[in-house]
Amino acid sequence: MNPWSRRLIYAAVILLVIMVMFPFLWILVLSFKTTNQIFAGPSGLFAAPTFQNYAALWDGEFRKSFMNSAIASIVSTGLALILGVPGAYALSRTSMRSEKSLSLLILASRMAPPIAFTIPYFLAYRYIGLIDTLSGLIIIYLTFNLSLVVWLMRSFFDACPRSLEEAALIDGATPWQAFTRIILPISGPGLAATAILCFLYSWNDFFFSLILTRKESMTAPVAVVNFMNYEGWEWGRIAAGGTMVMLPVLVFSMVVRKFLIQGMTAGAVKG
Amino acid sequence: MRAEAAFMSLVLMAIDTAATSQFVRDRQRFYWYLLCPVLVVLMLVTVAPTIYLIITSFTPLSLTRPGTALDFSDPLINYRMLMSDSRLHNSLWVQTKLSFWTVSLQLLFGFAFALLLNLRSNVLVALRTVFLIPMVLPPIVVAIIWKVLYTPDISPFWWIFESLGWDVPALITDANWALTSIIIADTWQWFPFTMLMTLASLQMMPEEYTEAARVDGANAWQITWYVVLPHIKGVLLVAGLFRLIDSIKAFPLIYILTEGGPGSVTEVTNYYGFIQAFNFSYLGYSSAITVVLVAITVLLSAAVISLIGWGQRVD
Repeated sequence: MNPWSRRLIYAAVILLVIMVMFPFLWILVLSFKTTNQIFAGPSGLFAAPTFQNYAALWDGEFRKSFMNSAIASIVSTGLALILGVPGAYALSRTSMRSEKSLSLLILASRMAPPIAFTIPYFLAYRYIGLIDTLSGLIIIYLTFNLSLVVWLMRSFFDACPRSLEEAALIDGATPWQAFTRIILPISGPGLAATAILCFLYSWNDFFFSLILTRKESMTAPVAVVNFMNYEGWEWGRIAAGGTMVMLPVLVFSMVVRKFLIQGMTAGAVKG
Repeated sequence: MRAEAAFMSLVLMAIDTAATSQFVRDRQRFYWYLLCPVLVVLMLVTVAPTIYLIITSFTPLSLTRPGTALDFSDPLINYRMLMSDSRLHNSLWVQTKLSFWTVSLQLLFGFAFALLLNLRSNVLVALRTVFLIPMVLPPIVVAIIWKVLYTPDISPFWWIFESLGWDVPALITDANWALTSIIIADTWQWFPFTMLMTLASLQMMPEEYTEAARVDGANAWQITWYVVLPHIKGVLLVAGLFRLIDSIKAFPLIYILTEGGPGSVTEVTNYYGFIQAFNFSYLGYSSAITVVLVAITVLLSAAVISLIGWGQRVD
């Protein structure tokens, strides 16, 4: 390839990176501005950064919503792993006649529009008093977390050599010992990546929390949107809230970036 | 792996003692014990609500009218209403336009940029992480970002338009541009998905293919069209289907940017179902709308499964 076309390609790549990064950096910049500076146009852009938006969030109701988000996401992820990992292992090691319909169930529950679950859950929660509770959120997050765990961990176990447990079994280990002492210890990276993905999906949820929570258990994404509706468009605070919601996501995504790209593309490239 | 295990159990069978078949049966039972809890919970949290949703769709349930929850006197009333509801038909048309444009643009940009990035270069490999950012951001944050960029008072774009003397309307409140503005934001968020999938597939293509075509005198366009495209069309199809299914779920962007307006130009079916259920409290009717949406989703998911053969492992 000649140097000119290589340079041209790099120019295009830089443009592409700016296109992807700019909108996201912009909200980061806004979060350090006062509302007046934001409305001042380009001149406000160069004012010294202020932390008052973040301070206001921390002193307000937002801190609680942030904690709600964290608790609901972490507990739901933990539950999904406890239930889903053994199931995924079993699925990987046996052949079931109804495997195809199970695949469809898992994929469809990941693909279904959230409103499909929201209506029945909303009606049931009204009846049993789970509206505006963290338990209610944790349960509904299982709808996608469970299938995510089974889906990802099964392909992970598929890649684990069976000869490992076969050897242990022949040496007299029980199947349970083979699973907990041989397979689980080497599954650390897969488990961590799956846990992070579950956490991210739960953390990113907006719709379920919008419908199923009120004030007590409101999560951070809904709280940020409420700044738009009730407190008169305080852009600085909206930007700071948005930044705080995306911060854990960015950190965790960078941790599992390799797995993210692979996990996302593996299923599709296979065929 | 499969073959190996099968061989192993054949060997074990051949020894054929009572103990061996007991051993195999124990293992089967063990796997079944592991599988049971997750199956039961999965049924409880996904299948049961879906059945409840279908049942609700046969009632005129409205929270403002007591006694409607179990009123099955006219089970098909909601489905008859689906047929004559012009606002619903409009929402399906909006959904079709949104899905068509977002999926097409994401495939187009994804493919084009993947070709561009498909060079053996460390810089480009490192940059791939950058392209993950829009996809992993919480959808609500993406919506807020674009709300900022589309609000003329505070948008850097409108500062530029103003300094150039252009009079650009606020896209999200302009009936002619509102849907386009959502398509732009959605494409920004998801073209990296098709791009990374295409890229992964491109890198698995043996270099000899393009090499051979080049030796035979094919130009860059011909190589792309006749060699590269046929190689990755399967991946493009699957990526497109995934995006198509996701486009039916579009909610945060519409909720934040336009609320379905102006009028109903950006009111997709999912959003209309939300309004019927949680603004108007017609949960029965909304359930019927949702049942139709879920049916479409299941059909598309089945298409994905038969395409990528998920469920059959590669040994």
